[in-house]
Amino acid sequence: MSVESSVRGMDTRQRNVLLGVAAVLAIVAPFMVGAFQTALLAEVLMFAVFATAFNLLYGYTGLLSFGHAMFVATAAYMVAKVFRLVGPAIGLEAFGGLEVLATLVVAVVLGTVLTTLLAVGIGYLSVQLTEIYFAMITLSFSMAIYVLFNQDIMRQVAEAFGFGGVADLVATNGSDGLTISFNALGEVDLFGFTFRLVDISSFVAVYFVCLLLFVVSMYALWRVVNSPFGMTCKAIRENPGRAEALGIDVTAHSWKTFIISGAFSGLAGSMIGVIRSGALPTLGYWTTSAEPVIMTVIGGPYYFLGPLAGAFTFRYLRWIIDTLGFGENWQFLFGTLLLVVVLFARGGIAGAIVRVRDRIRQRGGGDETSAPEPAVEGSD
Amino acid sequence: MGTRVTNPRTMTDDRTRQGSARVNRRRFLAGAGAAGATGLAGCLDSITGGSGGEGPIRLGGVYLLSGIAEALGAASRAAAEVAVDVINEDGGILGREVTAQFRDHGENPQQQIRSLVQEENVDAMLGLTSSGVTLASGPTVEQLGVPFTLTDIGTPFITEHDVDTYGDYYEDEGGTAAGVNNLFRTNANTSITTYGMAKWAVDNLDVTRVANIGPDYAYGTQTWDYFKAYSEGLGADYEYVESVFPSLGASDMTPQINQVLSAEPELVFTSFWAGDAVTFVQQASEQGLFDQVTDVFDTIGADPTVFSALGDTMPEGFHYSGWYWHSAYDNDNNQNFLDAYANAYEGTDTILIPSFTGGSTWAAVFIYKQAMEAAGSTNPDDVIAEMEGLTFAEDPRGSITLDADSHQASAPMVIGETSRDDDVPYDGVGLTNTETYTLDRSTATDLLEGSDLPPGV
Repeated sequence: MSVESSVRGMDTRQRNVLLGVAAVLAIVAPFMVGAFQTALLAEVLMFAVFATAFNLLYGYTGLLSFGHAMFVATAAYMVAKVFRLVGPAIGLEAFGGLEVLATLVVAVVLGTVLTTLLAVGIGYLSVQLTEIYFAMITLSFSMAIYVLFNQDIMRQVAEAFGFGGVADLVATNGSDGLTISFNALGEVDLFGFTFRLVDISSFVAVYFVCLLLFVVSMYALWRVVNSPFGMTCKAIRENPGRAEALGIDVTAHSWKTFIISGAFSGLAGSMIGVIRSGALPTLGYWTTSAEPVIMTVIGGPYYFLGPLAGAFTFRYLRWIIDTLGFGENWQFLFGTLLLVVVLFARGGIAGAIVRVRDRIRQRGGGDETSAPEPAVEGSD
Repeated sequence: MGTRVTNPRTMTDDRTRQGSARVNRRRFLAGAGAAGATGLAGCLDSITGGSGGEGPIRLGGVYLLSGIAEALGAASRAAAEVAVDVINEDGGILGREVTAQFRDHGENPQQQIRSLVQEENVDAMLGLTSSGVTLASGPTVEQLGVPFTLTDIGTPFITEHDVDTYGDYYEDEGGTAAGVNNLFRTNANTSITTYGMAKWAVDNLDVTRVANIGPDYAYGTQTWDYFKAYSEGLGADYEYVESVFPSLGASDMTPQINQVLSAEPELVFTSFWAGDAVTFVQQASEQGLFDQVTDVFDTIGADPTVFSALGDTMPEGFHYSGWYWHSAYDNDNNQNFLDAYANAYEGTDTILIPSFTGGSTWAAVFIYKQAMEAAGSTNPDDVIAEMEGLTFAEDPRGSITLDADSHQASAPMVIGETSRDDDVPYDGVGLTNTETYTLDRSTATDLLEGSDLPPGV
């Protein structure tokens, strides 16, 4: 890894410059692009965290989960529940002008904690299996959770067993979902600055919350994959049998990875719930589970930033397709792109960028601006 | 720019590097770059709402245009486009041309709504094909502030504003009043539809044993709840012998159909639409349901796409309802609508009579014309003020008024007998002996007393 990155990766100075540029862009973007694009970017950042967390299991550990939507949906429902019910009930009004922010903190923390607990339970059972069986068991769990939300089963059970008091707490309102009111996401008074947490005419406040969580999450996940823990993940991916022989408890390590992956997916799901002002059961449907899979495949599962590149590509291409008026046929257009990536660029976008850069370096002898020679083009 | 971790496919990559894939990859990247540039250009668009006082008047529509309910959304879009064409031929609105653009719900309908208002600067919105999406979009629509007319939505909650009696849908658990100031509705909602069905049954049928079979989501349970409440309010003495809910889009409803049959009902109440309505009739016919019961109802099954898909399978003599039926209204406005619709789609695959959402969608576009011209501008607040209490006299279904408080149109539901005697442009049944019903708030409130259901009108 270290040899490889010194040869093929960028050096530290280059990386810092790139990170600096990205940071400046991320900070000025919401003031330049308007409300709709700010909301889109905030959601893309959260999907990038979701896909990167998913890839911890897939690209790094070799376990393809087809049920990660369960974490996003569970967290989004929890957030909706906190804003609708829990916040007012536990007296967050005491925070005065900070009530909305205090509710947000409680909502995101509870959303993440609940999904982590879910990942502990479901992960324990799921990591007993590998390969297609792992994909199937995660899919099964997520569809079961989808049905719990869609059919409002928890409320029905609570009422059937006479726990009428908790029925409101676990009710999911069936196919209509839980919507957070305009007021609940409203006025914040922070050191004299007053703004709305979710203001449809700017989305700036919620964007910066997402950006903060994005930076923290991506740094944490980056530390995880570059730690001995992450090396162990890769050892399991490369050869579970050999990893076992080296004394690694493959099942236990996969379980821990599953829990970390679920927790960060939940964190992302919490903010998706805030941006969308509520949760609909479709957020837990298997099509949502397919999104991080597609993002990761497009972006490149063997690069840390691959899922991020995939999330940006997926969401912005989707937006372009909608804007051009082909929204109802987006699956066809996207299927074509996916086919191209799978057939011709299996390292995904991140892999393609790295290869292009390598080729420029090799050919140009370090002159990064030199274009590829025409003769090479003609070799098709 | 990804930090390279490891790549087990290095061998493959080295090989393809020599091969023909390279140029494709480069072309792909060039394409991605172009797409990115397009995106950036889009980013720099101004984000102010509305088109101001110049250029065309822009309408935006969000409907389900793919998947299970595609036929519904596509039919609404078809009616809206004809209305826009007719208005443009007649000089537009305020002398300005009218344009309409449509989006599929996709998996994030609120994003589509925001995109149309904030990126495309539409002056007014039409739409929505799902009650769940409508309720979830309420806060978004409210904040955006442009007039939004619902043309295809059943749930009475979205036109119920009495939060003191029914609880705030958005703030109280179990609350059902979800009224939004800038939302209006031109179709007969579930409250009106089920009232009409219950009233027709009480006046015309002599049955006691009633069973329900409907899709397993909010619409299915809500229509059944309202039908029972109105029947009770109207003094019907029914015994409810069975109620089952096959899942939405189910391919096999036979177990539930047999469950209903074994309860020996006289009247079967259903609330299927589009593909589910077709599946139900096909499988219920095979099980002999239509031979064993006195009548079968469907809340919104009376639709050309459903009847043409069923052809001979749809039995005659059963009572289907909807929000519009082409032969139910004997007036010039309806004839004009039918002529314009048939002219527009002559020679295409589209069935040449409008769907059950046709009347409400056509009306919504003309109501915008009337309100904007009365307001003298497209200013959202002025247009909304004009729409409250507005009477649209030229509605194909007969004159309608948008209630100043609830924002629900006094639109009729229609119920009729399935029959081959109706003149339809496809091979299948139509409706005869149609009757229409409207509902006012005081009647609805009286009849629903004892249930906790909001009238929504």
